[in-house]
Amino acid sequence: MSEDKPIIIQGYQDIPPMTVARGRMSVNDTGSWRNAEPLYIDHTSPCNFHCPAGNDVVKFLRLTAEGKYNQAWLTILKTSPLPGICGRVCPHPCETYCNRGQLGGRIRIHDIERFLADVNIDSKYSLPKIKYPQGKIAVIGAGPAGLSCAWQLNHYGYPVTVFEKHKLAGGILAVGIPRFRLPVEVRKREIGLISQCGTEIVTGVEIGKDITFAEIREKFAAVFIGVGYHHSYSLEIEGENHPDVVPGLSFLKKTALTKPFDLKRQVVVIGGGNTAVDTARTAFRLGAKVTVLYRRTRAEMPAIPDEIDELLEEGIAIEFLTNPVKIHSSQGEITHIECVRMKLGEPDASGRRKPIPIEGTNFKIETEQVFTAIGESADLAFLSDSIKTQRWGISTDEFGRTEVSGLFAGGDASTGEGTVTSAIGSGRKTAIAIKKFLEGEESEKEDLIPPALVNVNSHVVTLENLNLDYFTALKPIEIPCASPQERITSFEEIHRTIDEEQALYEAQRCLSCGSCPKCDNCYIFCPDAAIHRSLEPSKNYIIDIKHCKGCGICAAECPRFCIELRSLMQS
Amino acid sequence: MRKVITGNQAAAWGVRLAKAQVISAYPITPQTTIIEEIAEFIDRGDFSARFIKVESEHSAMSGCIGAAAAGARTFTATSAQGLALMHEMLHWAGSGRLPIVMVNVNRALAPGWTIWCDQNDSLSQRDTGWIQLYCESAQEVLDTVLIAYKLAEKTLIPVMILLDAFFLSHTAESVEIPDQETVDAFLPALDFPYKLDVENPAALFGAALPDIYQEFRFKQQTAFDTVIDELHRIESEYFQRFGRQYGEIESYKCEDADIVLITSGTVTSTAREVIDRRRENGEKIGILKMKLLRPFPTLSLASALKSARKAAVIDRDISPGCGGIWAQEIKASLSDVPESQRPVIFSCIAGLGGRDITTETIEQAIDITIKDDFPAQEIYWLGLK
Repeated sequence: MSEDKPIIIQGYQDIPPMTVARGRMSVNDTGSWRNAEPLYIDHTSPCNFHCPAGNDVVKFLRLTAEGKYNQAWLTILKTSPLPGICGRVCPHPCETYCNRGQLGGRIRIHDIERFLADVNIDSKYSLPKIKYPQGKIAVIGAGPAGLSCAWQLNHYGYPVTVFEKHKLAGGILAVGIPRFRLPVEVRKREIGLISQCGTEIVTGVEIGKDITFAEIREKFAAVFIGVGYHHSYSLEIEGENHPDVVPGLSFLKKTALTKPFDLKRQVVVIGGGNTAVDTARTAFRLGAKVTVLYRRTRAEMPAIPDEIDELLEEGIAIEFLTNPVKIHSSQGEITHIECVRMKLGEPDASGRRKPIPIEGTNFKIETEQVFTAIGESADLAFLSDSIKTQRWGISTDEFGRTEVSGLFAGGDASTGEGTVTSAIGSGRKTAIAIKKFLEGEESEKEDLIPPALVNVNSHVVTLENLNLDYFTALKPIEIPCASPQERITSFEEIHRTIDEEQALYEAQRCLSCGSCPKCDNCYIFCPDAAIHRSLEPSKNYIIDIKHCKGCGICAAECPRFCIELRSLMQS
Repeated sequence: MRKVITGNQAAAWGVRLAKAQVISAYPITPQTTIIEEIAEFIDRGDFSARFIKVESEHSAMSGCIGAAAAGARTFTATSAQGLALMHEMLHWAGSGRLPIVMVNVNRALAPGWTIWCDQNDSLSQRDTGWIQLYCESAQEVLDTVLIAYKLAEKTLIPVMILLDAFFLSHTAESVEIPDQETVDAFLPALDFPYKLDVENPAALFGAALPDIYQEFRFKQQTAFDTVIDELHRIESEYFQRFGRQYGEIESYKCEDADIVLITSGTVTSTAREVIDRRRENGEKIGILKMKLLRPFPTLSLASALKSARKAAVIDRDISPGCGGIWAQEIKASLSDVPESQRPVIFSCIAGLGGRDITTETIEQAIDITIKDDFPAQEIYWLGLK
């Protein structure tokens, strides 16, 4: 807008035949008539709100939709160094809460994330040199929490050394999740990027055995513990001390590390989580006849629903409402497992209905081997007694700080949240606390807010908030997937990465809830031409409040709830 | 090229030959066949223009205003209720000084619900800042469209062309359709000097405070003052190229007339027949056809009526509580002429709501005027049941 310049008119000779304004009409600031005021601000997208890692999902989808795959990938890297891994193994709550789910089908966000990781396989990424060589940080455990923490600290300019007791880096990604879900090369590629960016990863070194915890504390300015859950709960039933009663996780580890394992012909897997499902599918691929026992019903199974579907497609049976009672052996070999049928009672503390045994329904399932997968906990034997623990593991505050100065913890071993994505989020948030600790600053509540949720209205956009006149139901893409027959004879990855055409289509299906993609609707519809395109990159539009009459058309015609109309009437 | 076409088709041909760029219109009987014909021209590829279908006549005129402000040659057509709905936008176009051309097919206003002819719809838009030109034949319609664009674009005043419903709009006659090349030479592309331009942004039609508003109206009136001279110049060029001209009024056998019938629109044709017949009997009767309502052709009217003793105005319209609108206008404009040089005016109302004005109706008007030296009534209702 040009500056107001007074125009001096002596008479009719000085004027055109009609009024022509070349600048702002200062005589008529119609904004003074307003009884409501539009506020141009993004609102929280449900995908962003529900991403435990804190990714800016809506942004990387938009960049993908625009074909800017490198920028989209870099957007993810800001909050997560593991898009290729998360794109494969994450239970994707972003999709569960996706508003598109009510309008054709949820956006296949994880497939797009995976596409971005794969399409950027040759993209360069590097960091400037370490800024603070004195602020050395030790991370115990090279799982997603530790790697995420290290990644962020490298970006802040700190050197990090990660200690990993297994020979492979990745924690559960390396030794828990089977190859048919997460190929080795994907894990190596992404962990490789973290190493290239300055993190030193030392594998095969166990704290408390190869090096003492005290020594670590002494050598490093701060320590992050992210040892995960590697200790399996026992069944607490008679007969479980038999050598063929094996934690499912141990079996998966040995398979991953290609150590010898004596797999029997007929096995049962006890549990309903991802470890149980992975154990069953791995054993099945190795030739065993597998039955899964679960004490509740399908609806309560904590495993990722798609994985349960795939297990069933592959021909593995699940005995629901079934609990083991006793493991029977004869002449040193397991013969069968005695079980009892269950029914569901009232909801328990977890919100799921509590299973109750039905008396007199005991029955036998023949088996030669039993895999337990009823839950895991942290193995914290290496810690000194002075460090407090709670139900999930190490006690920390919300920033990941333990009561011991300079000692931090995150991931499953302190939160018990149980997913790769929440471990990434936990590692990222704790990195902020570590940085602040090293710089002598106090952690603040704002540190816990993922970058994508800063400077946006905290209201999580619902479908009702959108202007559905602008959107039609569109079907999601079909994800390329091997047939069950192909799958069960191999450890090849089941799903394939979607192609570019699919990624574009799927990303363009995104409703961009609450996130302004510069559609120009407000600009076009404003009857007073009071909305201008902004020249600042951080903001798309400016509302000229001097001429806005508060009619609300901009807010009504915004398809994505990026303009809010606030009443100025005194209530 | 000569074709047998209706008045409405003649209007459409005029628009096509004028190469209007934007047509923004909404259908209403009896106008609809104009825009249908235009739509068909466009559809067949004979005419390249943007046709905007709108949701009301208010929007139709708004569309024309927007397009004209962007510098396009624009056209719309309407009738009766449609014109009434357009009223606000007529002011925007008029005082906005946009060279829009519109055809209004004169249809009576409801209630009682009607689609038939009278002129109340356009006469009641007298003060909206538009030039109004009333036509008698299909040929005149086509010619007037071409003349109107040139006149509007020269004076920056929009032009409304009026056709009697059905008597002209839907009656076919032989019409000479000029060739495009000659029309192009007569009517070059529009170059609207105040058109909106993204390179030099401006907002049109903003506020005018009390210290300047009156000056805009003064300029508008000054522009209207030039219209008749411009019309003469343009029509004389038109005559050179096409051999036809009409004038702001047409004086038919008035030179020696004792009594003059004042008409507008198609009634004129019927009157011509009556006058010719009665002149054979030696009666000195003439016709004054009014073509231009705004600006009002006061001087030419006074000059044409100089020798007439009495004049009968046939109004196919009424301003309730006052009388025939043409009669009012004529009386008012002659009030400055000395009594000896102006006729006594007899005001006749006829043919409202589409009732036929026959030769008998015209005869009645003449007989009334002959009978008395001064009108015995303020209004003579012809054919009143």
